[in-house]
Amino acid sequence: MSSRDATIIGYLAVLAAGITLQVVSIRRPDRLPSLGRVLAYAMQTRTGRVGVVVAWAWVGLHFFAR
Amino acid sequence: MTDVGEAADNPAAAQASARQPSPGRAAVAGLRQPIVAILLLIALFTTVSGKPLDGFLMLAVAAMLIVDAARSRRQAAPGGSAASPSAAALATSPATSRQSGRRRLLVRAAWLAAGALYCVVVGSFRRYSWPATASVVTLGCLMIAIAWQGPLARRRPRSGALLRRAWLWAVVLVSGGLLELASLLEQPHLTTDSYAHPTISALTDPVLASFPGRSAILGGWLLAGWYVISR
Repeated sequence: MSSRDATIIGYLAVLAAGITLQVVSIRRPDRLPSLGRVLAYAMQTRTGRVGVVVAWAWVGLHFFAR
Repeated sequence: MTDVGEAADNPAAAQASARQPSPGRAAVAGLRQPIVAILLLIALFTTVSGKPLDGFLMLAVAAMLIVDAARSRRQAAPGGSAASPSAAALATSPATSRQSGRRRLLVRAAWLAAGALYCVVVGSFRRYSWPATASVVTLGCLMIAIAWQGPLARRRPRSGALLRRAWLWAVVLVSGGLLELASLLEQPHLTTDSYAHPTISALTDPVLASFPGRSAILGGWLLAGWYVISR
């Protein structure tokens, strides 16, 4: 396995872990908070709200802006 | 003059005023916020990797948050002028709750059409061109301004007790970030991609090279933004 394959598998593993957590949180909401619930909690304060939205904006800037 | 007079007349006010943190201490408290530290790190790394505009925007928002946190801390101190939200302010507007379903549907359809138009128009621009940059920066700043004003909908405060296992999400996010950072540092140069250790942006380059690919990724970005802002 090349370094490139290992890196890509690493990204896919992170993605799979995120999807698994979300599925588990939907099936067992009493055991694990969903991503939406975690975001809602983090966004209760202005700092949290702006921080999360800035992270989102950064993704767009990173892929499209010079 | 008024403050001095008030302090002389009212020892409690004078004591409260003395307990207020200095602007410097309040600013340091703002700097200690994890999100501010993260934004400053992003600003540093994006600037170093040849994206000064990203870095400047992150730095500007971090600075605004520091100022805001410092101001809030001073107002929250005894004697500060922070006003607690009144019950009337927290109550849902009756006009909002009475909005008809049909009107809401029309508004949603209009937003959807505007989003689709944005994806088509901005997707037609070349990546890293000035029109693409201006379009993304404008929307990003608009969303940050909306988030700054407050949540779009009033929600019941959420208890931290329900979030005992939220650290699992943090592990996933931090793992992804560390993997991306490791790939970035393995590149021959911060601005030159590595085939052996591709970053996420290097892997998405082929998709973003085409107009449909750019429009699709923009669509996903807009949906994610809507999901975030409606929390």
